[in-house]
Amino acid sequence: MIIDVNAYLGPFAFRHLRHRTAGELLGLMDSRGIDRAVVSGAAAITYRNPQPANAELIAEIGPHPDRFIPFAVINPSYAGWADDLEACLDLGFRGLRLYPKWHNYDLMSEPCLDLIDRATDDGMIISIPMRVEDPRQRSWLVDVPNVPVSELADVVAARPRARFHFVNGRGFAGSVLGQPENGLPENYRIEISLLNVHLNDEVETLIANLGPDRLMFGTGMPFQYPDPALAKIEVLAPDDALKAQILHQNAAEWLDAAAPRGGR
Amino acid sequence: MPPDDRTIPPITRRTLLQSSAAAVVGASQIAAPRAAAGDPSKHANIVIDCHGHLHHHGQPDWERRDRDLIEVADRLGIDRLCCSMLTPRRPADPEGFRRCNAWVAEAMSRHPDRVLGYCYVNPGHQAEALDEIRRCVEGRGFMGVKLYNEHRCTDPVVFPIVELAIELRVPILHHAGHMHFVPPEQPLISDGGHLADLARRYPEAMLICAHVCGGGDWEWTIKALRHAPNVMLDLSGSVIDDGVVELAAEVLGVDRLLFGCDMSMTAGIGRIRAARLDDEAKARILGTNMLALLKRRAS
Repeated sequence: MIIDVNAYLGPFAFRHLRHRTAGELLGLMDSRGIDRAVVSGAAAITYRNPQPANAELIAEIGPHPDRFIPFAVINPSYAGWADDLEACLDLGFRGLRLYPKWHNYDLMSEPCLDLIDRATDDGMIISIPMRVEDPRQRSWLVDVPNVPVSELADVVAARPRARFHFVNGRGFAGSVLGQPENGLPENYRIEISLLNVHLNDEVETLIANLGPDRLMFGTGMPFQYPDPALAKIEVLAPDDALKAQILHQNAAEWLDAAAPRGGR
Repeated sequence: MPPDDRTIPPITRRTLLQSSAAAVVGASQIAAPRAAAGDPSKHANIVIDCHGHLHHHGQPDWERRDRDLIEVADRLGIDRLCCSMLTPRRPADPEGFRRCNAWVAEAMSRHPDRVLGYCYVNPGHQAEALDEIRRCVEGRGFMGVKLYNEHRCTDPVVFPIVELAIELRVPILHHAGHMHFVPPEQPLISDGGHLADLARRYPEAMLICAHVCGGGDWEWTIKALRHAPNVMLDLSGSVIDDGVVELAAEVLGVDRLLFGCDMSMTAGIGRIRAARLDDEAKARILGTNMLALLKRRAS
């Protein structure tokens, strides 16, 4: 069993994606033995109003409820976000994916914390990509910085009841988020697709510092090849128990605990 | 690295060519022995990392870090590492690049036929750079030249370096990247377009455009190199974007692609595994193409 907590569907504004439909992504998942994937709409990253991309995502994955776990992109600085959240809960979304830098708001702003609180009350998980693409290849049109680890640490501390996924990130091992006994609530988990193994030992350090239940498998499909993340697991060669934790158990534990509104 | 990791069987060149899923979900790995040193022509499926770095001896843990690199290469089934060592501060002066190259030569002796050396120079110190390249290639058996970003590759100060590399029949691995902004720390960085210009000036040169997966807009770079047949593309870098290998194969042809990691080891391995290319094409990328470059020196 493999659960990918870092996947996307739909087009992206600045680069052609090859596997952007549900059928195409399923084909890629099947070829790599990936059973389920947390997905959000890639188009929502650059839409001013992201809600149409959420609706499109639900329509796209409709025939495959056993394979895709939908996360909604909501911009708490945009009019009607609370209505969008309600609509997304009714549509069966299981979590949020937040883009504070692309959507120009602070994680610690009042509307964002309100959004996190409401989503948490409804069992949602909060997924925050630290970046969408490597900043060196950004378009001439945009200059969107990565989400600093310090800002993630701030929101983790401010909302201990919430459950956070941090995806597409690196540099955790040297930050407060990667330190043992860091005084932060254990309410965040880290996805591995961009973490170093071996030469810089970031994955190994995080396992040692935070414990084996804090890392989750993710690929970044279809932006990224899935195989580097799979190769990390392979060369880390953890024992079967640890491998199972990272590949699916840690993700399933949170996802299964997050009952969608319709399931209550 | 956890000590028990040493008991794990390595990823081999054969598992490199398999799908990742089979390996991760528990299919047995096929443990072919790592290619022995010796005549390169005997290695049908050799794996050569075209872009590696040894650690400067000013770092207190350089020995451990160099050993880790070799150990990771062992575990990933990488037979040879083409390495340079850069000065910590650049632009490099002659004393600095000579010292780095001497340390690379030592590593080549410690790991014979495992570590191959690029001679790193700053073309701005022209006489010293030319002397150093000749000494390293002819006297120490270095396999190529490494140029960084001290000068754009189309700067005439670089031309004598290229001419010497042609004479010695060794490739030049040139740092490169194309960003849609000027990186303030690298105002003279070369890109694929500059390397294509240089290649047109010197069609007999063997040029390698470095780390397309760590050099900004990789689609731009690949398209810029289409009509520069004597520029090979190093696929290394930390960016694991989907499709880069296939686009490079489509636009440039498989024979112009070189496997590399630039110290991002699972990224380097993973993108080759992922690419929708047949095993023969992957074998060329993984090593055969680089062997062909190395043979030119020997011929």
